[in-house]
Amino acid sequence: MSQQTALSVKDLKTYFYTNKRCNKAVNGVSFDIKKGSTLCIVGESGCGKSVTASTIMQLLPRLSRIEEGSITYNSDAGEIAIHELERDGAEMKRIRGSEIAMIFQDPMTALNPVYTIGFQIAESLQYHTDLNKSQIRARTIELLANMGIPSPEQRVDEYPHHYSGGMRQRAMIAMAMSCNPKILIADEPTTALDVTIQAQIFELMEKLKTENDTAIMLITHDMGVVAELADDVAVMYMGNIVEAGTVDDVLRRPRHPYTKALLESIPVLGRGRSQDIKSIRGATPDPYDRPKGCQFAPRCDFATDACNQMPAEEQLSDTHRVMCWQHEELKQNA
Amino acid sequence: MLTFIVRRLLITLPMMLVISFLVYLGLELTPGDAVSHMIDPEVANEVTPEQLAQLRAAYGLDKSFIERYGIWLVNIVQGNFGHSLSGGVSISAIVLDRLPATLELSVFALLFSTLIGCVLGTISALRRGSATDSTLTVVGMLGVSIPEFFFGLVAILIFALHLNWLPVGGRLMPGDESFIDHLPNIILPGIVLSLMMTAGVMRYSRSAMLDSLSREFIRTARSKGLPEWRINLVHGFRVALTPVVVLIGFRLPTLIGGSVIIEEVFQWPGVGSEFIEAVRGSDYPLVMSIALMSVFAVLMASLIVDVLTALIDPRVRLG
Ligand SMILES: Nc1ncnc2c1ncn2[C@@H]1O[C@H](COP(=O)(O)OP(=O)(O)OP(=O)(O)O)[C@@H](O)[C@H]1O
Ligand SMILES: [Mg+2]
Repeated sequence: MSQQTALSVKDLKTYFYTNKRCNKAVNGVSFDIKKGSTLCIVGESGCGKSVTASTIMQLLPRLSRIEEGSITYNSDAGEIAIHELERDGAEMKRIRGSEIAMIFQDPMTALNPVYTIGFQIAESLQYHTDLNKSQIRARTIELLANMGIPSPEQRVDEYPHHYSGGMRQRAMIAMAMSCNPKILIADEPTTALDVTIQAQIFELMEKLKTENDTAIMLITHDMGVVAELADDVAVMYMGNIVEAGTVDDVLRRPRHPYTKALLESIPVLGRGRSQDIKSIRGATPDPYDRPKGCQFAPRCDFATDACNQMPAEEQLSDTHRVMCWQHEELKQNA
Repeated sequence: MLTFIVRRLLITLPMMLVISFLVYLGLELTPGDAVSHMIDPEVANEVTPEQLAQLRAAYGLDKSFIERYGIWLVNIVQGNFGHSLSGGVSISAIVLDRLPATLELSVFALLFSTLIGCVLGTISALRRGSATDSTLTVVGMLGVSIPEFFFGLVAILIFALHLNWLPVGGRLMPGDESFIDHLPNIILPGIVLSLMMTAGVMRYSRSAMLDSLSREFIRTARSKGLPEWRINLVHGFRVALTPVVVLIGFRLPTLIGGSVIIEEVFQWPGVGSEFIEAVRGSDYPLVMSIALMSVFAVLMASLIVDVLTALIDPRVRLG
């Protein structure tokens, strides 16, 4: 693994077993996250973005497990095969919070309402560092200050309900960053916030990325966010990464019909009201009753008979890859 | 916090007034008055109406209802509840004499049910779906549906008469002095009294705990790499505690009601068994006074619960 890679996921499969049926929520995904860069994972609801994130942290519900594949974390002390670690074993618990940290969609519910913000940040420090009580407190206040929380000396002793939504997410980020993790996983961190706050949170994440060399995995629905923040992009559909590459690869030269459809479904600023915005036709299939071949075929304008078979992953350039039989077609089309 | 308590007290006060009025009205509607109770039926025929009126005036009974209520209320606030009909002993003295036994029993039952209920409920929630969980659920269901006096009789039969482990009833044996001395006596009535509450607290803390464990802050705690016990107790149980304390507050009246029956079954010399004797002897002033004091106890308890809730839940303090 290259020294620049923070995390490498290969052929990962995570299945859910509910009511004796199997949901192949993540069905063979591979990607790398590089140090100091942002990988955006996009895709419609239910395509397996959050499950991919929980799999990396081994935070899966009981009824699911890693079926195949590998997750390799490049720590300072050498490579760690996360998929081989015991789910709630000591090593996994050490990595969680200190090496790989996570922030969630809704900062309202992600913080415990009965403890002060300071208590909840200090908790991480208490378990992952050797700092003593007063050092922990000083570090907590410093973290809040770094995240742009005004008068942190007072704010540290306040409860989550005293914080506004944006401040709560800042506090969440402070908590996640408390032990200087190498990787920050953000699962739709701004969906619950309004647009101006959203911009501030992203600005903060950009700052962390450049200052601390943190690798960020950002899950989002929003192609606008991708354009703004991503270094690399992976487009997920029904448990597969159907297209991946650098932002330029994916946003400017999309080669998968699904990526193209996603891009066409968002309005572009400055093109006026009359621009034609296409929503993607149809709906995502029932995860228990999947199409046989390409998962997107039933909704795809380019589908042919060939699409009844699962397309192989094809490398278009060093960085750009796609999973589609018709990608040549799209090249001409673009 | 202080303003919270003061505000809460101000809400309790009018409630007390309304209830005391209802109690007085009840007293008024009972047949006869203090004077007719004082006169021996054998000599009743020899008393002239003038003498009766004189007596009534002496006791202030010729005043209007509202006036008499006012006087009664002032007396009560000063701790003077009047006199029992049988024997003419001061009601305050009777109750004060009986109160320690009742307090001892209720506090024991309250502590027992809170502790055991929370522990069992938490275990049940943490092992949901297991055999332990199903067993506890069935036991809990039985617990809330079988009346306490029945448990009481069965317990006496098994543990006192059959196994001879614990005394049948009573509180103080000759020579008993400290709490430890009559610990064996309190075990049966205390546990029987707390059974229903324990089952209720257990079921409720199980569901509160399950609810709390499914919340997102638990996932956050887990993503921080905290140890399992800390996730379950410091984060999960702590949040489940608020609804459980509220439930205990709601159930306190049942505990007080239950103690009347349990005291009778176990011959526990508390206010409850006095209450039953008073009902049997149609000693209305005593019955009403005890009822009033019980209501007062319930209101005070719910006040304490509210303060507790505010203490353990920072969000309540705000409102
Ligand atoms: N706890 C769970 N139990 C059972 N199935 C689950 C669970 N969590 C996710 N799944 C299934 O896994 C699949 C992927 O879900 P996932 O939450 O990863 O979607 P997502 O891409 O994050 O969607 P969204 O944008 O709505 O967050 C879905 O089919 C979902 O039904
Ligand atoms: Mg999700």
